[in-house]
Amino acid sequence: MKSLIENRFGLLVLVLVALGALYGVAYASRPAPAAHTPPKPVRALMESLTTVCPSPGGSRVSVVTPPGAQGQGSATVGEVTRVPAAGEDGSDGDAAKKDAQKKDAKKGAAEGNDEAAKPGKAAEPERLDQPGVLWQRDMKTGTAPLAVAGSGSMAAGLEATQTARLDAGTQRGLASVRCVEPGSDAWFIGPGPAAAAMTLYLTNADSAPANVEVMIYAGEGPVLSDRGSGMVLQPGEHRTVKLSDLAPSPLVMAVNVSTSGGRVAAGIKAVFGRDKGVDWLPAAAPPAKQVVIPGVPGVAGLRELYVTAPGEQDTVVQVKAVLKDGSYALKNKETVDVLAGSTSTFDLSTGIGGQPAALVLTADVPIVAGMKITGTGLSQDVAFTAGASPIDLGSVVADNRVARKLASRLVLSAPFAEATLKLQLVPKKGAAPEPVEVKVPAARTKEIKLTAPPGSESGFSVVLQPQPGSGPVYGGRALVEDTPGGQLITVQPLAPASIWALVPPTADSPSAVLP
Amino acid sequence: MQSVTAIVVAHDGARWLKETLAALRRQTRPLDRVVGVDNGSRDGSGQLLAEAFGGANVLTMPRSTGFGEAVHEVLGRLPHDPRADEWVWLLHDDCAPDARALQTLLWAAEHAPEAAILGPKLLDWLDRRVLLEMGVTVSRSGMRETGLEPREYDQGQHDGEGLLDVLSVSTAGMLIRRDVWDQLSGLDPELPLFRDDLDLCWRARAMGHRVLNVPEAVAWHAEAAARRRRRLAVSDEHPRRLDRRNALLVIMANLPFGALIRSVFRNILGSLLRTVLFLVAKQPANALDEVVALGSIIGRPGRLRRARRRRRQGRKQGYPAVARLLTPPGAAFRRLADMVQSFVAGAGPVDSAGRHHAAAETDEDDGEDLLSDSGLMQRLFTSPGVLLCLALLAVTVAAERSLVYGGLLGGGSLVPITGGASDLWRLYTESHHVTGLGSDTWAPPYVALLALVSTVFLGKTWLAVSVLLLGCVPLAGISAYVATKKMISYTPARVWLAATYALLPVATGAIASGRLGTAIVFVLLPVYASLATRIVAGSRRAAWGFGLLLAVGTAFVPLLYVLVAVLGGLAAVSFAGVRRGVGVALAIGLGTPLVLLFPWLAGLVRDPGRILLESGLHDIALSDPGLGGENLLMLSPGGPGAPPVWVTAGLVAVALAALLVRRHQMVVAIGWGVMVFGVLVAIVVGRLTVHGVPAWPGVPLAFAATGLLVAAARPARWIGEFAAGGMLRRAAAALIVVVAFATPLAAAAMWIKSGAEDPLRRGVRDPMPLLAAVGSAKGQGTLVLRPRDGVVTYTVLRGSAPLIGESDLAAAEDASQRFGTAVAGLASGRGGTYARTLAQYGVQFVSVPGPVDATLHRTLDSEPALVRMSLSAGGGLWKLAQPAPAPPPPPGGDSAHRIWLWAQATLLLVVVILASPGARAAEAEEQYADVPLEEPRGRRRAGEDRVRV
Repeated sequence: MKSLIENRFGLLVLVLVALGALYGVAYASRPAPAAHTPPKPVRALMESLTTVCPSPGGSRVSVVTPPGAQGQGSATVGEVTRVPAAGEDGSDGDAAKKDAQKKDAKKGAAEGNDEAAKPGKAAEPERLDQPGVLWQRDMKTGTAPLAVAGSGSMAAGLEATQTARLDAGTQRGLASVRCVEPGSDAWFIGPGPAAAAMTLYLTNADSAPANVEVMIYAGEGPVLSDRGSGMVLQPGEHRTVKLSDLAPSPLVMAVNVSTSGGRVAAGIKAVFGRDKGVDWLPAAAPPAKQVVIPGVPGVAGLRELYVTAPGEQDTVVQVKAVLKDGSYALKNKETVDVLAGSTSTFDLSTGIGGQPAALVLTADVPIVAGMKITGTGLSQDVAFTAGASPIDLGSVVADNRVARKLASRLVLSAPFAEATLKLQLVPKKGAAPEPVEVKVPAARTKEIKLTAPPGSESGFSVVLQPQPGSGPVYGGRALVEDTPGGQLITVQPLAPASIWALVPPTADSPSAVLP
Repeated sequence: MQSVTAIVVAHDGARWLKETLAALRRQTRPLDRVVGVDNGSRDGSGQLLAEAFGGANVLTMPRSTGFGEAVHEVLGRLPHDPRADEWVWLLHDDCAPDARALQTLLWAAEHAPEAAILGPKLLDWLDRRVLLEMGVTVSRSGMRETGLEPREYDQGQHDGEGLLDVLSVSTAGMLIRRDVWDQLSGLDPELPLFRDDLDLCWRARAMGHRVLNVPEAVAWHAEAAARRRRRLAVSDEHPRRLDRRNALLVIMANLPFGALIRSVFRNILGSLLRTVLFLVAKQPANALDEVVALGSIIGRPGRLRRARRRRRQGRKQGYPAVARLLTPPGAAFRRLADMVQSFVAGAGPVDSAGRHHAAAETDEDDGEDLLSDSGLMQRLFTSPGVLLCLALLAVTVAAERSLVYGGLLGGGSLVPITGGASDLWRLYTESHHVTGLGSDTWAPPYVALLALVSTVFLGKTWLAVSVLLLGCVPLAGISAYVATKKMISYTPARVWLAATYALLPVATGAIASGRLGTAIVFVLLPVYASLATRIVAGSRRAAWGFGLLLAVGTAFVPLLYVLVAVLGGLAAVSFAGVRRGVGVALAIGLGTPLVLLFPWLAGLVRDPGRILLESGLHDIALSDPGLGGENLLMLSPGGPGAPPVWVTAGLVAVALAALLVRRHQMVVAIGWGVMVFGVLVAIVVGRLTVHGVPAWPGVPLAFAATGLLVAAARPARWIGEFAAGGMLRRAAAALIVVVAFATPLAAAAMWIKSGAEDPLRRGVRDPMPLLAAVGSAKGQGTLVLRPRDGVVTYTVLRGSAPLIGESDLAAAEDASQRFGTAVAGLASGRGGTYARTLAQYGVQFVSVPGPVDATLHRTLDSEPALVRMSLSAGGGLWKLAQPAPAPPPPPGGDSAHRIWLWAQATLLLVVVILASPGARAAEAEEQYADVPLEEPRGRRRAGEDRVRV
């Protein structure tokens, strides 16, 4: 030991040994590189939901909540009417606040159904409290927009639809529209006021005023209105706007209804005139670089594609059809050109006519797309479908009917990967039949003719639930009725049901203030 | 014909009186009349007087009679003949005039007929050539100025052309015209001792008379009262306090109104400043006297008013004549400058006597200043320390080019710096914090430290943090250079050490990730090392300083204390037996932080994992738990801002080479020991994870680096000797130097190349949206949601961005759980009453900083209880439709917290006083107890001290 210390190299050797040991410790204690797995969001049932049917007068309103939810819950169906509040004038924010407070107080009194009691009701609202049972009612003409509000077990997947059927007159045809949740941004695409009487229905079912902006993209570009297209809807107010007042000339158009404050439920009805058809435009998916238009039924007739590029850049859109036997680019319509800010239309009747189909459109700028489907016969009827979201969390179609000449067709497409779905029918009354499994191969479209559960031919609902491991599924439901004058037709693209919400993992972290 | 009456006032002055009386008898100009007054002497002074003047000519007065009162008494009994040219010569019992003194004074009076008061040149009683006074003036703050250097020998240098016009002369040997005495009603009996002469002469001057000092006339004065060579019977008060009080009173009574107002302010401020300086210099008795003197003036306005009324006549008209003779205003600053200079030079911080400059010497002084200035500049810019600091500063500015200026500084573990010193003080002192969900946690002590530093930076926290964090490299360089002064005598080695230390990966890493705590500890570490060497030598004061600074470092980085305590324990084992007092000093050094930070440290002990974390935000991305052994051995702590591993290779290589040097082997071994210890701790710390956040081994590695640097730099002088050897040896020495300097140069180059930023950034967006800040009432909150890696992180802001310490406050467990559920519910869009739950906690706004996640924005838009206010690329803001009530603060304060704050402040003050340099204890006390403010003897001693130190 002594010699080690006295040696010139003794200390050096000691230190090197120590450093070696330290390196060894560091090496041995080095943890395996842990794969960073971000925490997954948790699925949770919806707790409350409100949808608004824009114009139920003369229509049959169907409301259903898929079976399975446990616990307490109720839903109400009632008209949205404006509550005349003292001191309320214009868009005064304070008045609105007072309004809200008043309603809040009222809400406290009617404990339990917080959403439904919000807007004042002319008539006593209908109250439903049983999930898994379809509720249907034919509404009188002149009924104000209906707010369908569910809470608790009745909120998980609450779905409502209004369907009108007229045999004759200017509005002859089947016209249905899904009751939508009020939002701040809605897109519609279809014919313009020059082709049909287009009416925009706006409803504010909230307790805060809504500042609504309407933007129209016509075939020639965005329509800049010199009168201004903004309006304020007070809480509980609803309004109809003739789009010809905003833009009289377009033959085709896309409409963007957005709010800079508050929320609004919007719907557009197109009336082509006597024997030319009528239907509602479904809400289209917001601008995206890839749009899937599902739910084109396998009946004959014209198929007209609408594409809008709302940005500031012209684009070339690749069009692919997903059909029964595969996915193809359409001949002579492999690509279509769309000018910036304008809406274009293309006839695809020769490509997909008579076949159940979905269209996959791909562009390098965000686009909005939709389709007009015309039925056959002397007196025509039209239906619209539009870009939709995949139904990853399931989908519900409230109103389906089967009769001698009337068929409900479910058109399901899995454009990217194979999918398996569980299909369940929900009758008006009685026990629900066992669910069946449906397989859709990759890049195929499948059309299913629904058969009604016994005793529920006049109305039943469909609940679709993709099984784990499925690719994205898109779909639509078509009601087709053959009448002597010609086909009556309406299409509803499947919308993701609001059964589940994804609860993201949260962390209380002061570093949220930093980018 | 002149007639002169001499009045000798005696009070316990038998020691000097005999000589005084003899001197009177020897006068070449015989006196017309002599009168003695005995103020109740107990040492036979009265008898001496009676023997000399005859019993009839001696008046006996009570013991408490003052000088002025005694003279009044005598003159009251002597009739005044208005026709005669009558003079009164006042003499103390300890003042022996020269034989020709009276003759010369009278000759001067004849030459200058308007002179009413004349005084001799006063020399020291014992050392008869030392000048005491040749006329006295006073500054506007009451400082007495003689214009003489301490212990100045009289060589006739101040005699000039015979007669000197002065503001005042001492009553010892004062010759005054009898009618003027009567006109001025003589000495003010309110001033029984000290400054009575000044007051009388001031009044004489104000009435248009001349006051002359006659250098030809000489008297020797013992200044027995002022030097406490005899007991004072006039007043119970300490002479120093009495002197200060009288000084203030004379100044305030004689100044005209305008000047008085200025003087009041000046004196209050000046007194407070002097009190603080006295306290810092550990002269509490002086400080007390200062405060009491000021208080007794201000506290008794009636006396001042009476005194002013008596002096009303001619005060304003005569003031210009007086003002010329007062000390020029610049003198105070010069005195302060002198004091600072002497403090820097290592003397006691406050020279209580002050320096006595002549009122008329300004021009000369200016010239000297200029000369010394240029010398200073030259010295400054050739000093290696300054050059090193400038070089490091340049490197820092180049590397931090994007951080130096712009918007808010933040990122990494630093919240965007908002608010000022007052906000931080409030955060530290309040017992309930409204921040976030509300918290009753006591704010961590580093908040108080930052508040203190911010206060120094004029309340600008951003400036303080910028300087401390961004200036970490040059500051660490300076601190390392200065701290090693005693340790390493070879300057190039110190320069190398300081540069290498300042540019260590720990420093760049700390800056890049915004670790303010590590940056501060990094600057303090060399100071700890330097103080530790003095503690090992047994210095108590160094121990207090060490304890104080250790408390500062520990408040930011608690791990530091553990490291120091382990090393301190080792040092105690090895040194406590060797030197006396080391054990106590170590105990002081290690115990002080425990006492100062007690409740906070107790909280840490309950949650020991937090010891490994430091102040600020904790982010997973800021450290690397899988850091390789080579990084740790090369002193690189990993995380953002770490340079390539090889940068520090030169340092390690040189330190290894130092092991081969035979000399200083002890220091090298200790240095390597610290290095191995530091790296071992760094390995352990770096592998641990606390609350999901891996700990960062920056401070242990800085420790290790300090040891390594000392080991490498200590034997550096040997390089020079080595190079003097043969060719081969010279080459080897050159190689070592190149390798050594490669480390700081490479580190600087890599740092400049990669830049210092990321994740620390300038121009961070204020997390509190302006719209929400304007729209929310007091106490209402804004919920900030920021989805990050699939997790929605959130925090609640109350009206403004969070302050720098608020992230370390914990909210109540159940409240935060309930709130977290509500936030998750809101972000999921499942409806329900989550928004209402948020509102219960006072949340009025929901802010999503841009780029806004599309899903989240749609979810929030679909929530009926929220109304969108704005949405853009910069972020979205939603408002709750219903106004949220602000949560009420809990009733009552936390009295324990208040008590602790006071206790902590007191403890801190005590430690600061104990730690700050000052006059040495034993001698100082004796000196200050004995010597009043302007006593020349005290000055001499102070001067001697200064020389010795």
